[in-house]
Amino acid sequence: MASVEFRNVTKRFGSVAAVDGISLTVERGELFFLLGPSGCGKTTALRMLAGFVEPDEGTILFDGRDVSRLPAHRRNVGMVFQTYALFPHMTVERNVEYGLRFRKTAAAERAARVAEALERTRLSGLGPRYPSELSGGQQQRVALARALAIQPEVLLLDEPLSNLDTKLRIEVREEIKRIHQEFKITAVYVTHDQDEALSLADRMAIMRNGRIEQAGTPAEIYAKPRNEFVAGFVGETNLLDGTAEPRGGAFGYATAAGWVPAQREAANGRAAARISLRPECVRLGEPEGAPARGVVRRVSFFGGSVRVEIELENGATLSSVSLGADTRLTWREGDAAGVYAEADNAVVLE
Amino acid sequence: MRSSSNERPGPGAFAAVAAIAAFFALFLFYPLVYVFNKSFIVNGRPTLEFFELLFKSPALRESIGNSLMIAAAVTLLSAALGLAFAWLLSRTDLPAKGLWSNLLLFPLILPPFVGAIGIRYVFGRFGMINILLMKAGIISEMNPIDWLGSPFWGVVILETLHLFPIMLLNISGSFALMDPSLEDAARSLGARGAALFRTVTAPLLMPGFFAGASIVFIWAMTDLGTPLLFEYRAVAPVQIFNAVQATQENALGYALVVAVLLITAAFFMLSKFVFARRRVDMPAFGRSAGRLVRLSVPGKVAFCAALAVFVLIALIPHVSVVLVSFSEKWFMSALPQEWTLDYYGKVFTHPMSYNSVKNSLALSGLAVIVTMAAGGTIAYLLARKKFKGQGILDACAMLPLAVPGVVLAFGYVQGFFGTSLDPRVNPVPLLVIGYAVRRLPLVVRALYAGFQQTGAALEEASASLGAGPAPTLRFITLPLIRANMLGAAILAFAFSMLEVSDSLILAMEEKFFPMTKAIYMLMARLGDGGMIASAMGVLGALLLAAALAAAQKLLGKKMGDLFRA
Repeated sequence: MASVEFRNVTKRFGSVAAVDGISLTVERGELFFLLGPSGCGKTTALRMLAGFVEPDEGTILFDGRDVSRLPAHRRNVGMVFQTYALFPHMTVERNVEYGLRFRKTAAAERAARVAEALERTRLSGLGPRYPSELSGGQQQRVALARALAIQPEVLLLDEPLSNLDTKLRIEVREEIKRIHQEFKITAVYVTHDQDEALSLADRMAIMRNGRIEQAGTPAEIYAKPRNEFVAGFVGETNLLDGTAEPRGGAFGYATAAGWVPAQREAANGRAAARISLRPECVRLGEPEGAPARGVVRRVSFFGGSVRVEIELENGATLSSVSLGADTRLTWREGDAAGVYAEADNAVVLE
Repeated sequence: MRSSSNERPGPGAFAAVAAIAAFFALFLFYPLVYVFNKSFIVNGRPTLEFFELLFKSPALRESIGNSLMIAAAVTLLSAALGLAFAWLLSRTDLPAKGLWSNLLLFPLILPPFVGAIGIRYVFGRFGMINILLMKAGIISEMNPIDWLGSPFWGVVILETLHLFPIMLLNISGSFALMDPSLEDAARSLGARGAALFRTVTAPLLMPGFFAGASIVFIWAMTDLGTPLLFEYRAVAPVQIFNAVQATQENALGYALVVAVLLITAAFFMLSKFVFARRRVDMPAFGRSAGRLVRLSVPGKVAFCAALAVFVLIALIPHVSVVLVSFSEKWFMSALPQEWTLDYYGKVFTHPMSYNSVKNSLALSGLAVIVTMAAGGTIAYLLARKKFKGQGILDACAMLPLAVPGVVLAFGYVQGFFGTSLDPRVNPVPLLVIGYAVRRLPLVVRALYAGFQQTGAALEEASASLGAGPAPTLRFITLPLIRANMLGAAILAFAFSMLEVSDSLILAMEEKFFPMTKAIYMLMARLGDGGMIASAMGVLGALLLAAALAAAQKLLGKKMGDLFRA
């Protein structure tokens, strides 16, 4: 198990910087996510850790050792590919054993390690099968077992769930979490799916255009997105224009959805700022005496929750999400509603 | 946007590119440049003197004209047959399609110059047809019909019978790729019949059509064996062949070679870049099962009868060669009077034939090694690396499709005169290389397809598990493209065994003769020469049939792609 560090790493393809001067440390044993839209550079960053791509500038360190120029087969990194990349001409056993062939492992130990890897990924009994005889979820687990069998310093996962259907995805997600905890391994996981990242990550980095927009725990990033992009990419949000306006001794911003308190230092004293207001912080109620008013435009029922879109008096749209239990399920399109912003502190964006 | 450091060529890849470049420079470009140089520069001064010959010499004009006419006729006939058959097999509910498709591809196995041997026995002055007609009293013995009086049509028909399957493969491939919902969409918009064909179907068939047509055209224009066996001398390839035989430098030879090369290159470019350029990529998903044209019962009967008649005619050369090879005596009778297996024995006892079989096996075996090594390297560089000049490498590998065998062989003889590779002294190295160069496009395509379908991710997975480049090649890449390698090697071997132009032109002494040259020389001998030649031809055709069947199994549907330009 090793820590992983990017230090000012840049990779260009032609004139485009796929990865543009990123610096990042993943601690030992962490399950770290690189999250971003397609083309943001997350896969290139991962492939640099694997050794498939060499950085043009900067260094990559495993436990402080510079591995930037080390070819893939000398890195001891396990990788789970998006397409799994299982060797179709080898049985599950041979696939899992493959990496051990190049590690001077004694035959007896090899067999034991293969058996262990299969057992821990719940594949015991499937060893003699060929990959084509397995279901998608099983193939996924073989890919994991194969990567883990070599006892890698770092485990890399490249969109490992993207080829599974929704139900299986949630199942395998939990499996990955369990395996990560059991193996206590440093893992870097690339995805564009925020649910995967929010539910699994110890920490994560949001990438865009080859740069890291923000890094932190899922809770930190969700609660305090630094800018509009992060606020919009991780979870849903309402973006509002705010004007600084102290009220009753407290600092805050006046917005179309009413006045929201804010920390003076977070706002950096700006008179005008963009405010992110999560939908669950928008409560709907009686229009009379409400800080802001609007008309219900759309009601979507999700079982556990209800999402309501409100058109504010200034024409902007605001969404509100509330748990099914404590909401008036009677909101109808065209109803007039009062808007109550219930944030302790507004999120002031850069 | 994905790229790997593996893709950046390392020192190994640079060495490979350099070696391949040297190979092309020496064995593809040097002979061509040499020929061009010789034809346009005389006594150190540039001149168009040779070129003027093309317009001044009636013999030259005639032979080029005849070759162009042969090529045009063969291409048109093959295209018409290929289109009709492809439509019947792809778009109608014709019964027993599998059987018809195999029967129609069958003629491909007989090299036309072998068929020519049999045809002479069937259509000769006292061949099977005339004898039958005489016996029926339709013609008199004094005045037999001279069926082969015009060797032109003999050549055209034999070449068409051999080449139309290539059009059929290509057009069927286009039909198979075409999403039938496109035609349905056009129908729903009001297009029907000829308008539908012209506006939607034909444009979608174009790439496959021209990919096949350019191969057929170049093949027919520069085929040496068939006209030679029909003793049809007034065609360009035979004239080039004669020019090599001539001891002193022959201006006509150079002029002809340059003219032929320019024509074939122009045709190749035209079909590749003008007609086939708008390659239509059709989505692979959501393809509805095509609606088949329902033939009426009389229609089915008529089409099946027509196909049966055609297949019977197409098999005349095959049947007749087989008959000749088994005939002890065949003179003035419809069928041989006595049968024998002796000539198959003589293939392996007659010194010329036995020696030639041994030579061909050795030469083709060596050629397969060379072409697989060169083609494998090229395919790997194209599929797995990224570097400037890949397009040029690809074009060079496909160039032998546009450069006729007679042209290259002529260039070898002239360009390597007096060097250690001089084919007059020992043709073995250049025969091996010539065979290898001619098979290069096929090998590169088959192996490139293998690399493509294997995907780079498996190699990366191997690397991430600790396998260096050599073990990855050994345990992952090679096992996964084994079918493609085997298919390509088998086809390359069989086609080399039956290679005509290099064999006829480069091998000048009997001890170096490959099979095809021995067949040609035996044909010219009285006595049992023709029978032994036929037996050799039958064996060659069997080899090719087995090779094609094996390759079809190994390469599956992609085999059709190997016969494209």
